[in-house]
Amino acid sequence: MKQVFKKIIEFILKWLAKIYIFRANPYVIIIAGTTGRHWIKETVKNALEEKSFSARANKKNFNAEIGLPLSILGLPSGEGRFLNWLDILWQGLKLITNRQLPITDYLVLEMSVDKPDNMDYLLSIVKPNAAIITTITMIYAENFENLDEIAEEYEKLIKKLSFGGIAILNFDDERVKNLKNYFDGRVLTYGFSDGADFQAINVKKAMDGQNFILKSLTDSEVSQIEIKRFGNHHIYAALVKEIIKRNFKMSSSDFFSKMLK
Amino acid sequence: MFLRTKNINLSPIKTIEIFASKIPDVISLAQGVHSFDTPEVIKKAAHKALNRGLVAKYSLTYGLPELRETIEQKLAEENMYYDFEEEIIVTAGATEGITASLISIINDKKNEVIIFSPAYVSYREIVKVAGGKPVFVNLIENPSADSGQADGWQIDFDSLIKKINFKTAAILFCNPNNPTGTIFPKEDLLKIAELARKKKFFIISDEVYKDFIYDNSAVPFFSIAQISELRKTVIRAFSISKAYAMTGWRIGFIHGDEENIKEIIKVHDCLITCAPVISQYAAMAALDYADKEIKEFKKEYLKRRDLICGRLDELSDYFSYQKPNSSYFVFPKTLKNKDSWKFSLDLLKKSRVAVVPGIAFGPSGEGHVRMSFGRSEKDINEAFNRINKYFNK
Repeated sequence: MKQVFKKIIEFILKWLAKIYIFRANPYVIIIAGTTGRHWIKETVKNALEEKSFSARANKKNFNAEIGLPLSILGLPSGEGRFLNWLDILWQGLKLITNRQLPITDYLVLEMSVDKPDNMDYLLSIVKPNAAIITTITMIYAENFENLDEIAEEYEKLIKKLSFGGIAILNFDDERVKNLKNYFDGRVLTYGFSDGADFQAINVKKAMDGQNFILKSLTDSEVSQIEIKRFGNHHIYAALVKEIIKRNFKMSSSDFFSKMLK
Repeated sequence: MFLRTKNINLSPIKTIEIFASKIPDVISLAQGVHSFDTPEVIKKAAHKALNRGLVAKYSLTYGLPELRETIEQKLAEENMYYDFEEEIIVTAGATEGITASLISIINDKKNEVIIFSPAYVSYREIVKVAGGKPVFVNLIENPSADSGQADGWQIDFDSLIKKINFKTAAILFCNPNNPTGTIFPKEDLLKIAELARKKKFFIISDEVYKDFIYDNSAVPFFSIAQISELRKTVIRAFSISKAYAMTGWRIGFIHGDEENIKEIIKVHDCLITCAPVISQYAAMAALDYADKEIKEFKKEYLKRRDLICGRLDELSDYFSYQKPNSSYFVFPKTLKNKDSWKFSLDLLKKSRVAVVPGIAFGPSGEGHVRMSFGRSEKDINEAFNRINKYFNK
């Protein structure tokens, strides 16, 4: 009974989310991969907000069959309570039928796949304009046979990128790097290894964070970056932030405010 | 035989519990467990992990990466920045994390660990298990202080300075403090940090009750682990079991600079290999989805604190106390019974109410008892009806 109820909720949420995207037409950035998605999601959102765009990202682990459409609609979870879910579906219906639909420039969405063909379902809800892929590892992937099977899920994501879209790939992960072969559009890479479009070198740890030299192949620029966090996953996030800052145009409000100065 | 354990004692809380278990119909205000069951959302996550066959194998020694990632996110919300891959260890409760930390820190040259008195009973024994020597520094009780005041149980800094020497390996304290409920003010913590920096010893901050603060305006809670300059000096312990009604799941974590954690992990590996995997999945759900339940627990504890304080007020000829502003313990002074062991055993025998003798928490705990208001209102009321009869027989 519970499973039937869950399927019905999934189905309704999926269609509410699709209608929202059709009406609001936001630019969709999908962050996928096994690890480090959260930190990249946060920095991408920050980078867009620094450019004066409105951006919305998923909360907590709202990144699968039910969580993803809830994130798109900006609604909370019903947490297994029937009446809560009825209220949430009602809120969703009101949202998509609102004449003055609240508009968000960017939707920054984490996507989590934990079993084969999971990606097909998620991509039936939303198509990406940009996709950022972090790593492909077996850490959370007990339902997959091997790494290649997981990589196939991300191939599907890359193949679904819209015309004029952009793929941002971790150059340090061989399988992620090779995803470039499945997309004819613009590809940018990041990582610690030589050859990455945005490369971190000379990483140093300090008491209050880390700093590194950013070497960019795309504009031959070298700059020093400081972050107040520890761990390589934050360096990756900082590299992606730079990609967003340098490759996404500024919002019209930001453009005009800078012109006036 | 057993030369190493000859001087290690079973915690008096457990001793009292063993005595109590032999007496029918006892109400125990002794053990630091609460009356709530683990929230449903956590139990469901554990069931799911169990049914998916995820819990039968060891996790990484550090703990499940996804749990550590969640912990890193939670810490960042509290302005503590630690790398989940290298700087966080999921432990079997805070106690195991503290034990592993002390075993890795204590050596032949530096073997003294400073503990406040009164403080959590097991600290003394943990230090001994780790091959160290506990050194008590008294907290001074200010009888005129009211709830949450900074001078409720003050650190005696003169005594602390005198007891620090070249053998001092660490200071270990609980903030908010068990059994007094004291929240140590930021200025005091910074003074300790300055001493640690000068004399080169570690600070182990056990913050298992930080989610049970009833009024954060009196003395705002501050964690010493928020200061990035101290990251190589501070090891912070936290227990998921206390906050989320999961004491039986034995789950918590410690975090510190990579340089320290890479040493502690060796001991943690020897002690338990990894924290119970089913509990790690449960902990992940707790941190992600059970904040609402924590708020409910806190509301309930506040009611129970006021109840127990009201009942103590009725016995003002026998007890004086400071209203605790955190944790779920009250630590009243027993005005007519100076020997806390004798009083606790007598109360248990005659009234079938278990409390913990104050002496168990260190020398300055003598003349007090610890009562937990983690129990239900019904139990607290019944316990106090019996205590009333005990005194007014």
